Amino acid sequence: MSTHPPQQEQEPEESPTEQPPESVEETSPGKQKRETDKADRRIREAQREADEAAADDGPTRHIKVFRYDPEVESKQEPRFDDFHVPFEKGMTVLDALIYARDNYDPSLTFRHSCRQAICGSDAFFVNGDQCLGCKTQISELSEPVRIEPLPHQDVVKDLVVDMEHFYDEMKAVDPYFDPDETPAGDLEEQRQSRQNREKVKMSTRCIWCGACFSSCNIAAGDNQYLGPAALNKAYRFAMDEREGSERKQQRLETIEQEHGVWRCQTQFSCTNVCPKDIPLTEHIQELKREAVKNNLKFW
Amino acid sequence: MAEHYSSFRKGGRLWFWQRVTAAFLVVVLAFHFFLLHFVYHADEVTFALSQSRMEMWSYYSLMILFLFTATFHGVNGVYNALINQGLTGTKRQVVKWTLIAASIILLVQGVRTANAWAGLPTFF
Amino acid sequence: MSQSYNRGLIEDFGRWREFSAGMWAWIFHKFTGWVLVGYLFTHIAVLSTAIPAASQDPATLAAGEDIYTTTIVTLEELLLVRILEVGLLAVAVFHILNGLRLLLVDLGIGLESQDKSFYASLILTGAITVASVPTFIAGAF
Repeated sequence: MSTHPPQQEQEPEESPTEQPPESVEETSPGKQKRETDKADRRIREAQREADEAAADDGPTRHIKVFRYDPEVESKQEPRFDDFHVPFEKGMTVLDALIYARDNYDPSLTFRHSCRQAICGSDAFFVNGDQCLGCKTQISELSEPVRIEPLPHQDVVKDLVVDMEHFYDEMKAVDPYFDPDETPAGDLEEQRQSRQNREKVKMSTRCIWCGACFSSCNIAAGDNQYLGPAALNKAYRFAMDEREGSERKQQRLETIEQEHGVWRCQTQFSCTNVCPKDIPLTEHIQELKREAVKNNLKFW
Repeated sequence: MAEHYSSFRKGGRLWFWQRVTAAFLVVVLAFHFFLLHFVYHADEVTFALSQSRMEMWSYYSLMILFLFTATFHGVNGVYNALINQGLTGTKRQVVKWTLIAASIILLVQGVRTANAWAGLPTFF
Repeated sequence: MSQSYNRGLIEDFGRWREFSAGMWAWIFHKFTGWVLVGYLFTHIAVLSTAIPAASQDPATLAAGEDIYTTTIVTLEELLLVRILEVGLLAVAVFHILNGLRLLLVDLGIGLESQDKSFYASLILTGAITVASVPTFIAGAF
């Protein structure tokens, strides 16, 4: 912004004030008309912009949030609370929840941390679909926005679910890099080719949010099913060439038990809801093919 | 390692055979429908007509194979659907053996029926 | 968790409007599968009237009066049975077409368009069923 004192400032674009004075005798009627037209146009445009801005930034958005608290009398029966949060451009579901909690009801409980889709804490069930709160725009959702905790998992309080079962399944596949042999020299690297990295690239993106697991009907019915996230993790390491063939064999053996890959019915719900766009079903299918190929050799 | 090295647990084997039988059944079931509803018609069925088909060795063996494949595919499908819904423990064992028993009865009855037309023994 | 609230399966059919294509495919495949297995058992049971029929005398067989022929003919005369057969065709065709889709998915083909291939199998099932109605209902009147 200019630091000149206001009197010396040029008139701003939207201002409908008179043009810098020119000698009246030299301005033809035609030119005068053109200049007033221009000023009119500027006023109308400014008005239209203001109108549009007002329409977009409708005063509030209506959200319905699932409430449940076993320790509070009034909330022992689950219910939905309505909040009307003032809308700001670019507002996410998480923003709306934080506003509601900070301004309307401090007891509203939900997990969140990074608010940039990397920690995986704020997976919710919004308008019937799993998503990350921080990644979902309120403007893209139909009102009232129904926010519920992830399905298939026990609810601890409000939007917080018990993630222990999910973590157990993840642990069951040894979700860490574990090579057969480490290189001889102290400072020697374990190299991975570009293609191999490309192959596992998508599978490394998992943030353990649990959206996929909660969208799978098989995971819902069969308690022992490893689930898409765990299988994807297994894929990420089994397909990593740096681990060695013996470790790969062991990994394949883990996931080819009865409640491993074979339970997947290719429902594709996991692929549809993954906030990191990981092609989960594709990875599981590849694991199935690997397992079959692996075992055909021994017949 | 022991003589029979195979990490192929039951889960994988059933999955594999379900797909193999599926591929086979797609063709044979379509053929079966086509033959019995479009070539021959449902309202023209007689013992003699069925017999004339079953007396051909190629048709007879195809039908027997069809019976065994369809029974496996169907019963395995039902079994898997139940496991997906969370069937575990004793109930699962009971269901499994009941399904196996039902399959055996179905297979025996099916073979006897085919034999009745083909002129082969139907036993009891 | 002793105090946590179990809200049940996502297959809560009250939420059917939220189901994705892949979910519908799975539900229909299961449903048609059960129907076909049920039919398989019924079918063999009905066909096994051929066993007693085989031991009836040749004259009865030639005249088409044996128990197998009469059973089938009586059944096929009922319009309800004819309609059920059309239903059976629809069920079998869907199971076959979706089954092919699943086989392709298992081979890693067409994963990107899996929802489109589901809709295609639905439409094809409808088309084939409608086209077969004349043949199936023929002679029932």
